[in-house]
Parts: sequence; structure tokens; C-alpha cells
Amino acid sequence: MEIVVCVKPVPEAETRLRVATDGTALDPEAVKFVLTGYDESAVEQALLLKESVPGSKVHAISYGPAPRTEEVLRAAIALGCDQATWIDSGAAPATDPVDVARALAAAIRPVPHDLVLLGKQAGDDEEGVVAAALGELLEVPDFGFVVDLRWDAAGSRFKFRRASEAGLESWEAPTPLVVGLQQAWNDPRTAKLPAILKSRKAPIAKVTAAARSAEAARSRSVKFELPAPRTGAKLIEFKTPQEAAEKLVKVLREEAKVFP
Amino acid sequence: MSRRILVIGEPSAGGHLSGASLEAVGAALRLGGGAASVAGFAAGSTAAALAADFARVGVAEVYLTEEPRLDSAPLAGFVRAVATAIAESKPDVVLVGGTTFGRDFTGRCAALWNAAAATGVTEVTESDGGLRFRRPVFGGRATETREVEGGRAVLALRPHAFPLPAEAPVASKPHPIPLPELPPVLLAPHRAGVEAVTTGSGPALGDASIVVSGGRGLRAPEHFHLVEELAASLGAAVGASRAVTDAGWRPTSFQVGQTGRAVSPQLYVAVGISGAIQHIVGMISSRVIVAINSDASAPIFKVADYGLVGDLFQIVPALTSEVKRVRGIA
Ligand SMILES: Cc1cc2nc3c(=O)[nH]c(=O)nc-3n(C[C@H](O)[C@H](O)[C@H](O)COP(=O)(O)OP(=O)(O)OC[C@H]3O[C@@H](n4cnc5c(N)ncnc54)[C@H](O)[C@@H]3O)c2cc1C
Ligand SMILES: Nc1ncnc2c1ncn2[C@@H]1O[C@H](COP(=O)(O)O)[C@@H](O)[C@H]1O
Repeated sequence: MEIVVCVKPVPEAETRLRVATDGTALDPEAVKFVLTGYDESAVEQALLLKESVPGSKVHAISYGPAPRTEEVLRAAIALGCDQATWIDSGAAPATDPVDVARALAAAIRPVPHDLVLLGKQAGDDEEGVVAAALGELLEVPDFGFVVDLRWDAAGSRFKFRRASEAGLESWEAPTPLVVGLQQAWNDPRTAKLPAILKSRKAPIAKVTAAARSAEAARSRSVKFELPAPRTGAKLIEFKTPQEAAEKLVKVLREEAKVFP
Repeated sequence: MSRRILVIGEPSAGGHLSGASLEAVGAALRLGGGAASVAGFAAGSTAAALAADFARVGVAEVYLTEEPRLDSAPLAGFVRAVATAIAESKPDVVLVGGTTFGRDFTGRCAALWNAAAATGVTEVTESDGGLRFRRPVFGGRATETREVEGGRAVLALRPHAFPLPAEAPVASKPHPIPLPELPPVLLAPHRAGVEAVTTGSGPALGDASIVVSGGRGLRAPEHFHLVEELAASLGAAVGASRAVTDAGWRPTSFQVGQTGRAVSPQLYVAVGISGAIQHIVGMISSRVIVAINSDASAPIFKVADYGLVGDLFQIVPALTSEVKRVRGIA
């Protein structure tokens, strides 16, 4: 099975965020970019499928600027991906998620893809738009919020479950398929040192992102704001548990107004 | 400038317009400058009931694809029907509730319509004839304002961020929309079933307006019911720290944090949770945070709005009783 996994370079969760001086971007110097969260899950899922379906290959694809995009692709190779493609965005990557999906679709169309795996949402912009947009652009069905996925070799189809407001939906689908994975169902593996060292020399195919579509509308960031730092809890004094409960319920209703 | 807005109707379990869809109507009525500029879309076997719900809050014009096949087909089919409604109704903006349905819808619809797309939107405003919206990013650690260039946008609204519209009944004016011919590949997936979630009777973690989470301070799995009872009294969803899910007290679907779910309810109550950074990033965007912890120096108190320093085994049952008392629950 030919599996494509899309990974995005995202600032580490622990990094302190800083707004750039013009206010329209988060200062890229201030952050370290890694492969995180849902994308780690997507890579893990790709590798599990590869291990369970003989003759499978995993192709990692990432759109973005140097050097962060190549770095996350090397991380994906160190984890076990067979092949990697860097779509060079130039210094100012598109921030509209549909533009990103267009860039990914252009790179994925010419390569074999029985399954395209993405994270449910990226750790930074949290749009959760790219997977569905990619499905439309590739004219392939897509499903987001997928919590598990396996290949039923006898029936030649995927079986997966997807979280929705109604509960867990079970689906069956043949190839091709686009899936946005929701994490928290497995512990992604970590790369071993020899694989990390080897990944530094692995070849990465580079393609240049096509010019953005002229007729499409898009949105752009005009401002980033950081919330005022939380000043610490107002501690509620009490002598008995009952008093604690009464005082807390009172402030939550009257001061914080969080429930009637 | 008066914008035309198309609101996508999502059925709730009972076959009526979901709360998230109604909130989208509320947002549309404000943005479009009144009911005349707002139309609805509904599809599937409950489409007619949804049209009636739209009419109840003032939206007369509803594009309808009464096609039961859409109930259990991939979203791709639904989106093609919406595209036909868009071609007729010529909206500037499509609004949808930011449920799992709405979020999957947004990307697909925007790609088909060549529109800008965003999810998690908490505010939409006009600015010099353009459209501006705000949304939390980085797990709520920052807020981004974006501007739409070139009109057309599909926006999924964050649940609970917009007010419900007032009742304003009008006579419904349905416009039937046939389901367009679909490439067979788009209809190949097949839904085999739906199982109700096992997280108890409460709301889903991601969309709950109140979340109560428990941590290692509960000491053993047999004490976790304390958190669940408090959640039930508040009508809240139940969450957990990774210490709890790693120990197998609750499934990983309960986990809040960097490697679990990010939540942003109106109220987050952390019970016996120390407040490790990986937990904090998953709940920091909550509007009001309450911490209950016996250790006054626990880092959770740095991010909480209100703190109770004390023994959770005493405080939590008292709190559950007090909440039940004020809410009149036996
Ligand atoms: C890569 C990585 C990812 C991670 N992702 C996540 C994540 O997504 N989510 C997450 O939660 N964690 C995550 N963690 C783990 C995180 O670092 C912490 O270990 C975890 O959050 C601790 O859980 P806890 O607060 O329940 O336990 P503890 O840190 O052990 O805290 C228990 C608290 O209970 C209090 N307590 C004890 N007894 C009582 C009592 N009787 N009454 C009141 N209070 C009491 C204690 O004072 C203490 O503060 C991650 C860690 C790593 C390294
Ligand atoms: N620049 C990118 N390069 C590769 N994949 C991406 C990129 N941006 C987003 N993705 C994929 O799309 C998923 C959802 O991203 P988003 O819609 O931006 O929240 C991510 O988890 C990635 O799998």
C-alpha cells in the first residue's frame, strides 16, 4: 500500500510565544519547530499500517520554508518513513489552510497514494481544514476525527472509527482515502539514535510550490495577541468543606457568572 | 454593506437543528444585517424538520436536499449539494457550527467554492467592507485576527461563542435542490454503525461548556466517581490528566493536554491535578479555571482563577451537594 503522510513543522508546545514587532505574526525566531501532536499520531498510524500490510511504503510530505520543513521530514524519516518530499514555500509560506491544501494536492497528485494521512489539526493554527480540503482537491473521500484505522485485507478496504457528536461512527472504505487522525489512541514511537544519525544524510526530494490560485479567496493574519498573563488564583478561605463549597459556588455564579 | 449569508443546518440526535447551527443563525443575523440576507441549507431525511426550525428563528429561505442517502454518506455528497445551493443563493459567507461535522465540512466546501476557510472562530466583524474574524490558536495561548481577501469565506464557529437567536417565526420558503451527480468514488465509503460514546451521559469533552477533570490526587480508580458526580451535577464533561489515563483509570479519550485533547470551556475544574505544562496547554484557554489541590504551591494555582487549597476527598463531595442544592437537583 502506498501511504502518504502530511506533516507540518509546528513550534514546540513548551516554547514561549512572542509576537513579532508589527503584530501580524508570531516571531519565528522565538520558537523551535518540531513534529508534534496529531502529526506524530499520523506518522505512527502510517508506520503501523506499513508493518501490517506487506509491501507498503510511507512517503512523508511537508510544505513550508527552510530549514524547519526539512528538519521535520528528517524526523519522520528517523521514525521509519521511506521517502520524503519538501514543498518549498519560500520565505513567506501560505497561511490560509486551503492554500496549503492546494500545495499539498499538487505534490500528491503525481505520486501513488492509496491513503493520505494527516493530523486532525495542526498544533499551531488548529484549523483542521487541510485534510478535508485536500480530499476535495484530490476528489477522494475524506474523514476527520478518525480514532483508529486498519486495513481489512480480505475485504480490500479500510475499517475505521470516527468520533462525532453522535458517538463513534464505524466506517468501511476502499482506497483511495484521505484521513485526518485524532490522537490519543496510541503512544507514538520515538526515533532511535542510529536512525536519527542516518536520517541526516537521507535524500529529500524538493519541489517548488506552484503560484497561488488567482481566483481563490483567502484570509491572512492581521494581528496576533497574547492573553494577559494569568495573575494566579484567588484563594478562597474556608474552615469547613461546606463553607468551601458554598463560597466557590457563590463566586462562580455571581462573580464569574459561569452557571446560573 | 449587506452580506448574503448561507447557514448550514446540522441535525442533532433528535432530528432538530443543532445548538451549534442555531448559534450560527444568531451570528448570521447580526452580521448580515437582518433576516432578509440570511438563508439556510438542510439535507437528508430530516431536511424538512430543519427548515421548520430555521423558520422559527426568522430564516424563511431554506435550500433543501431531501435525500435520505445523505444521512449516512460521506460528507463529499452533502458538500456538492451545498455547492448547488451556493450557486443559486450567491452568498458571500457560509457559516456552520464548529462541530466535528462543521469542521470537516469547512475544508471541503471552501476547496470546492474557492473560498477562504477557518474554524474555531469566536468573533466575526465588518471592517471597511471587509470581513474580519478572530480565533484562538496554539491551544488558546494566542488569539489570531484574520481578514478575508476577495470575499467568499466558509467559517466554522466555535461552539458556545455566539448567542442563540431569538424566536421570530416566519413562513418557510423552501427551495428544493436536487443532489448533483457524484463521482462514484466519493460515495464508496459506507457507514457500518454508530456506537454511543462511553464517556458517560455527559456532553463530549471537546464541546462541553463545563469540564471537570481529575488527576493522580484521586489516588485510585475507585475514587474517580467523585469527579464524575461533580461533573454530573454541573452537566459537565469529564476529563483527566495523563497520570490518570496512563495508569489506566480511564481511557485515553479522557486525557486533556498536549498529547490529549485541547478544551476551552466556560469553566474548567481541575481536581487533584498538579498543573504540569503539558496539561496546562490543553486547558489554558478555558474562560474560568478552578483548582482544588491540597498543595498550595502546586503550579495549577498559577493559572487558575479560583483556588481551594485542601483535601479533595472532603471538598469535592461537599461541592457536588452544594451545586445540586442551588440547581435544585435531588
Ligand atoms: C511528552 C509529554 C506529554 C505529556 N502530555 C500530557 C497531557 O496531554 N496531559 C497531561 O495531563 N499530562 C501530560 N503529560 C504528563 C505531565 O507532565 C504530568 O506528569 C501529569 O499531567 C501529572 O498528572 P497529575 O497532575 O494528575 O499528577 P501529579 O503531578 O502527581 O499531581 C497530583 C496532584 O494531586 C494533589 N493531591 C494529592 N492528594 C490530594 C488530595 N487529597 N486532595 C487534593 N489534592 C491532592 C497533589 O498535591 C498534586 O498536585 C505529558 C508529559 C510528557 C513528558
Ligand atoms: N504545511 C504543511 N505541510 C504538510 N502538512 C500540513 C501542513 N499544514 C497542515 N498539514 C497537515 O494538515 C493537518 C491539519 O492542519 P490544519 O488544517 O492546518 O489544522 C496537519 O495535522 C498536517 O497533517
